[in-house]
Amino acid sequence: MKNSLQKIGAFIAGLLVLAACEPEINDAVKVSKGDLNLDKYVAVGNSLTAGYMDNGLYREGQLSSYPNILAGQFRQAGGGEFTQPLFTEEQANGSGYLRLAGFGAAGTPELAPVTDKLAIRSQNPTLYTKYTEEINNLGVPGIRMSDILTPGYGSALGNPYFERITTNPTQTYLARVVASNPTFFSCWLGNNDVLGYATAGAAANDITTPEIFTANTTEIINALTANGAKGIVATIPDVTGIPFFTTVGPTVKSLLSAAGAPGMIALTRKGSARVPFAVSQIKDATGGTILFPLTASAYLPLVGQRTGKYWRDLARQAVPTNPTLGLANILQNLQVDTTQLFGLSAGNPWPSALLLDDAEQKEVSDATISFNSVLKAKAQEKNLAVYDAYAYFNSIQSGFTQNGVSYSTAFITGNLFSLDGVHLTPRGYAIVANEMIKAINTKYNSRIPTADITQYRAVLFP
Amino acid sequence: MRAKLLSILGGTLLSGMTYAGGFQVNLQGQKQIGMGHAGVGLARDQASIFFNPGALARIRQNGVQVGVSPLIAKIAYQEPEPGNTTAKTDNPLGTPFQVYGSYGFANDKARVGIGVYTPYGSTVNWGDTWQGRYGLNELTLRAIFIQPTFSYALTDKLSVGAGPIIALGHVNLQRSIPLQAANGQEGHVELDGNAVSYGFNAGIYFQATENLSVGLNYRSKVKMEVKDGDATFRVPSAAPIASRFPAGTQFDATLPLPANITLGLGLRATDQLTLAADVQFVQWSAYKSLRFDYTQTVNGSNFSENARNYQDVFIYRLGGEYAVSDQFQVRAGAYLDQSPVKDGYLTPETPDANALGLSVGLSYQLTEKLGLDASFLYLNRKKRTDAADLSGGVPGTFKSVGYIPGIAINYNF
Repeated sequence: MKNSLQKIGAFIAGLLVLAACEPEINDAVKVSKGDLNLDKYVAVGNSLTAGYMDNGLYREGQLSSYPNILAGQFRQAGGGEFTQPLFTEEQANGSGYLRLAGFGAAGTPELAPVTDKLAIRSQNPTLYTKYTEEINNLGVPGIRMSDILTPGYGSALGNPYFERITTNPTQTYLARVVASNPTFFSCWLGNNDVLGYATAGAAANDITTPEIFTANTTEIINALTANGAKGIVATIPDVTGIPFFTTVGPTVKSLLSAAGAPGMIALTRKGSARVPFAVSQIKDATGGTILFPLTASAYLPLVGQRTGKYWRDLARQAVPTNPTLGLANILQNLQVDTTQLFGLSAGNPWPSALLLDDAEQKEVSDATISFNSVLKAKAQEKNLAVYDAYAYFNSIQSGFTQNGVSYSTAFITGNLFSLDGVHLTPRGYAIVANEMIKAINTKYNSRIPTADITQYRAVLFP
Repeated sequence: MRAKLLSILGGTLLSGMTYAGGFQVNLQGQKQIGMGHAGVGLARDQASIFFNPGALARIRQNGVQVGVSPLIAKIAYQEPEPGNTTAKTDNPLGTPFQVYGSYGFANDKARVGIGVYTPYGSTVNWGDTWQGRYGLNELTLRAIFIQPTFSYALTDKLSVGAGPIIALGHVNLQRSIPLQAANGQEGHVELDGNAVSYGFNAGIYFQATENLSVGLNYRSKVKMEVKDGDATFRVPSAAPIASRFPAGTQFDATLPLPANITLGLGLRATDQLTLAADVQFVQWSAYKSLRFDYTQTVNGSNFSENARNYQDVFIYRLGGEYAVSDQFQVRAGAYLDQSPVKDGYLTPETPDANALGLSVGLSYQLTEKLGLDASFLYLNRKKRTDAADLSGGVPGTFKSVGYIPGIAINYNF
């Protein structure tokens, strides 16, 4: 009996050891880099590539840039180190940015600038604390395709974000890209070649000409692929679908409708030409086309008043040394009479910079489509993967759900776009990174796993 | 002795666990666990109060039995391709328990008894960082059934029994809310409530021949209705958000615990070998949806509802007992458990799949009156990949295993 009890004891002990076993999901997703060499991934692009968000470049955004997320996933497939020009912890807020400070009485978001822990080393011109180590993320906020051959773009008089990561101010962006010598690259350039014009309400800046865009695209893709590197090229999203342009219009429309106003009169493009439009033409969920940028919200309460506040603000910004003279010049050039009703009269029209009308939208749209066909053609010629951001962001205009979370292109509540209404949240960047991974896997026979997007934040609330 | 054990149980009985199809926990008798949890067709011990009240009248001794089955359940998760993020549960040790006692009278033709046991429960803890956290952080579901029972031998061969069930239920469900505060803390909701409900358990036992017995058991559906449970929200404090998740919100919810019909056979193959086979039909189709009705408008709605649409299932059980001596018996058994969860309805609350249970057990009579039962059950649930697009669940692949040692003492007089 004693003997059999011992056997039973041993048997029970064995069962208890068994109980320590974990359940395994054996057919774990196979990770493979396929046809790719991921030893040195270099990211080429603008603010989106740099991790810009909330109207600024700061450490948290850099850490959640889509190239950094991509590189993290590449590492699972044997990818190399990926260095970013990170702001230090002490200067973590970099250029400064906007945070959501609260909500107004009507539930309107109130944004406040973050001004501590900045990395600004010079105010005039604005320059940032240098980062001159070798880096893999060459994203430069503000850069256009048309800038890549500009000498001195990395100087103190050029782009401060390029200046920050440049040791040789005469080196062009293209030369810097060539010197990086990647084995794999991503290239998402060209947004600013239309975006700058659009966000300025077509009242400032210019759209890059198709000739320059084509020539420079050819230059940079040729350079990136010269050593046989593979890569992914992203297209330019339809800028009229971003919350920067879709948030304010519906408010304008309902305010004017409530006030019984038939329509507005606005300046168009850069000159003094006026365009009248009916309230029904303003875009909201029910229809219409005319877009108001986020920058318009500050001046909405002034519609119908006899005021020149917008022009005084503009003059102070444009001619800080003599705003009085600046204002007189502006009013004369644009033939504005500030004693008339703001936005409702031909004499005191709504500023062009605070509106994207039909003709302006068509310019932006035509350019976007033309640039995208250039980018896609070049990518096809070099047999590169393509992330069609234009098609992607159009496809999600009606929103989608993932992990029980709703996403849309709505401002703040949509979880994708940061507080500037143009750039993405960390969650949005992770979603973009995953879309890129899918395109890369399809093209290069690789099995790079997508990232867990829930580990990246959306908008933070007070 | 008995009082002491009960007090120990009182300290640990506070969680059941996912353990058969859905959130049924089939751990109601140590001898039966050792035989694949088959026992409706046998008049084996006081646990007949649960398995078949009709068989209770066949028990020849008065006695009590107290047992516990510490339950180690582990669940692994992997997100859908092309992602490869994994997660696993960190479940507390579950402690389903069984307490039975019975007393015979009227020439032993009649027998009264009482059972206290935990036939439903689920404790899963996925934590608040995994990918499915907006679906579930943690769920604790438990039901304690108290069943006074009367059993009567109508003839030498035929006996019947029945008893009302008083069910005490508790539910605690926690989820992350996808609203993040400036300090990075995510929103959170905790739903916590209690329920009291009623049902019954009835059975017939027929000793067809000296060696063959048949049992039929019906356990009714029990509708657990949570009234005035507390919904506690933690969200960013900004007024437009906080006002969508009002403090002091209460909720009502109903969770149906399904009816079970079980047909069992018992066969004394030899003097030493006894076999048992059960077929159990579980009417899970009663569970249509998980709905919470709130006393205030929460995030734009005064209720939340996710479809469940469970299906009825069969469980097949087979077990054997070999008497090494009068004092010592060993057992082994197995069961096949169908999942009531249809494709598209998988949830992290009960990431259910068809399962195979393998068990062993033994009994040792320590003294004339005092006996010890022990069992060990290994449960292997098939790996299951589901889009979870119909249940508001979490898509991905789930795999779970359970290890359940169990022990009971019985005292007969």
